[in-house]
Amino acid sequence: MAITTNTLRHAAACAREAAALAQDDLNAADGKIGDGDTGVMLRRLFEAIAAAIPDQETDIGSVFQACAKACASGTGSSLGTLVTVAMMTLAKATKGRSEIGWDELGGLLASVRDQMMARGGAKLGDKTVIDMIDAVTIALDACKTRDEASEAAQHAARETLAAFRDRPNKLGRARMFGERTIGLDDPGMLAFSRLLNAVAA
Amino acid sequence: MKKLMNSPDAFVDEMLAGLIAAHPSLVQEGRVVRRAGVAKKGKVGIVSGGGSGHLPLFTGYVGDGLLDTCAIGDVFAGPSVDSCIQAIRAADGGAGVLRLYGNYGGDRMNFDLAGEMVEMDGIETTTVRGTDDIASAAPQDNAKRRGVAGIIYAYKIAGAKADTGAGLADVTATAQAAVDACRTIGVALSPCQIPGAAKPTFELGADEIEMGMGIHGEPGIWRDKLRPADEVADEMVRRLLADPVAHKSERVSVLVNSLGATPLEELFIVYRRVAALLKKEGLTIVRPLVGHYVTSMEMAGLSISMIHLDAEREQLLAAPCACPFWRV
Repeated sequence: MAITTNTLRHAAACAREAAALAQDDLNAADGKIGDGDTGVMLRRLFEAIAAAIPDQETDIGSVFQACAKACASGTGSSLGTLVTVAMMTLAKATKGRSEIGWDELGGLLASVRDQMMARGGAKLGDKTVIDMIDAVTIALDACKTRDEASEAAQHAARETLAAFRDRPNKLGRARMFGERTIGLDDPGMLAFSRLLNAVAA
Repeated sequence: MKKLMNSPDAFVDEMLAGLIAAHPSLVQEGRVVRRAGVAKKGKVGIVSGGGSGHLPLFTGYVGDGLLDTCAIGDVFAGPSVDSCIQAIRAADGGAGVLRLYGNYGGDRMNFDLAGEMVEMDGIETTTVRGTDDIASAAPQDNAKRRGVAGIIYAYKIAGAKADTGAGLADVTATAQAAVDACRTIGVALSPCQIPGAAKPTFELGADEIEMGMGIHGEPGIWRDKLRPADEVADEMVRRLLADPVAHKSERVSVLVNSLGATPLEELFIVYRRVAALLKKEGLTIVRPLVGHYVTSMEMAGLSISMIHLDAEREQLLAAPCACPFWRV
């Protein structure tokens, strides 16, 4: 079965629930290298996204556009703005489509990764959410079904989180903490991983 | 940590409602604060923005001779793209708009996106970012530095320049020169806490201070036992004087700023030492500022900013201005 707007509605509801559950953990992770508000921000953002999806809409691009608008008015944090960029990228890429094949996900996520890098200035290896999106993009490349995509994406996210844990953050506020970020999960990566697990379950 | 609030989610909007109720010179439209009345035709608009939790920065400096509009975000989170767009449009009097804000990732992305959007509608915009915090990057990487309390000098100077009828390029160059001439360093004595967060933003021992800490708790240069005020002031001034500035001057303005919980009494103890040190260095202090100008919730500590003045900057600093928290 392909991805439809109903798939997105269900995913948004799962993400909203996961963001609420992860709020304190993400705040704590961010508190070690930032200002401790990643959890609060994501919880509010995904509440806004879930509420913004039109009930009867069947155009996937329109659903992503509604999500992008909700994000653009709902957040100002850098991670939140990157979510806006992701939604805008997906909206443009899927405009007029009522179905997407699971084998198209990798390509769409690659566009998201590239746009987020262009806007945010992160490079691969900086230990940001971009590294995780890149790993998931690669993992999705060979997947043709929901089950394959779910398993591959969750596996890639888990492996990436572990692989980067012992590396230093090289971008943004976290960069200031230098070697002290070794051994810590990047809050953006952690957030992506928690949301992905909820959506893929 | 105790906070007087109704709910974390309502914190910013209720704060803004109170600010506007107390100051009829300001108007709130969503998460944008602007001067009452319409944008002055033919004047370059000055727009800023950033996260809540730093009052009087950012919204407190909307007023005559300062900012025209300001986009505000949640506590320590930048304003949304929509708010930035709205603030730029409201500041536009037909002569273009300067986006003048601190150098933080979220603010940068959002103001850049907003600038691209309004330019499609024919509004010309430029950008100057506050980069005065010398503890946040080495001099050779000064474009990476954070913007902290020194940005209010850029507000004042850019606002006064715009009031002279100067064009967008001139106002932008003057604001950039003000940023380039200004240096700040801070010291923290105790943490702050975001409304709704379970713990303070950082931990600092009861007898510790951290030199160079940022206004969101970003790490500084060193952390050690609290020491006498004069020793702290000496090091801060020494670091400020040692940081290279393109156009050094014998005339400077100095801002001794509370980060929130530090009282005026302690600020004046420090100012007394700063004034003596600068005099000893042969510098003349013009229009010193001592008080709560850029805060970080209930964080204890202070920052010292110093801006080198040429004849024009000194004149613009002396020009009339009026906002809820600063009047000349």
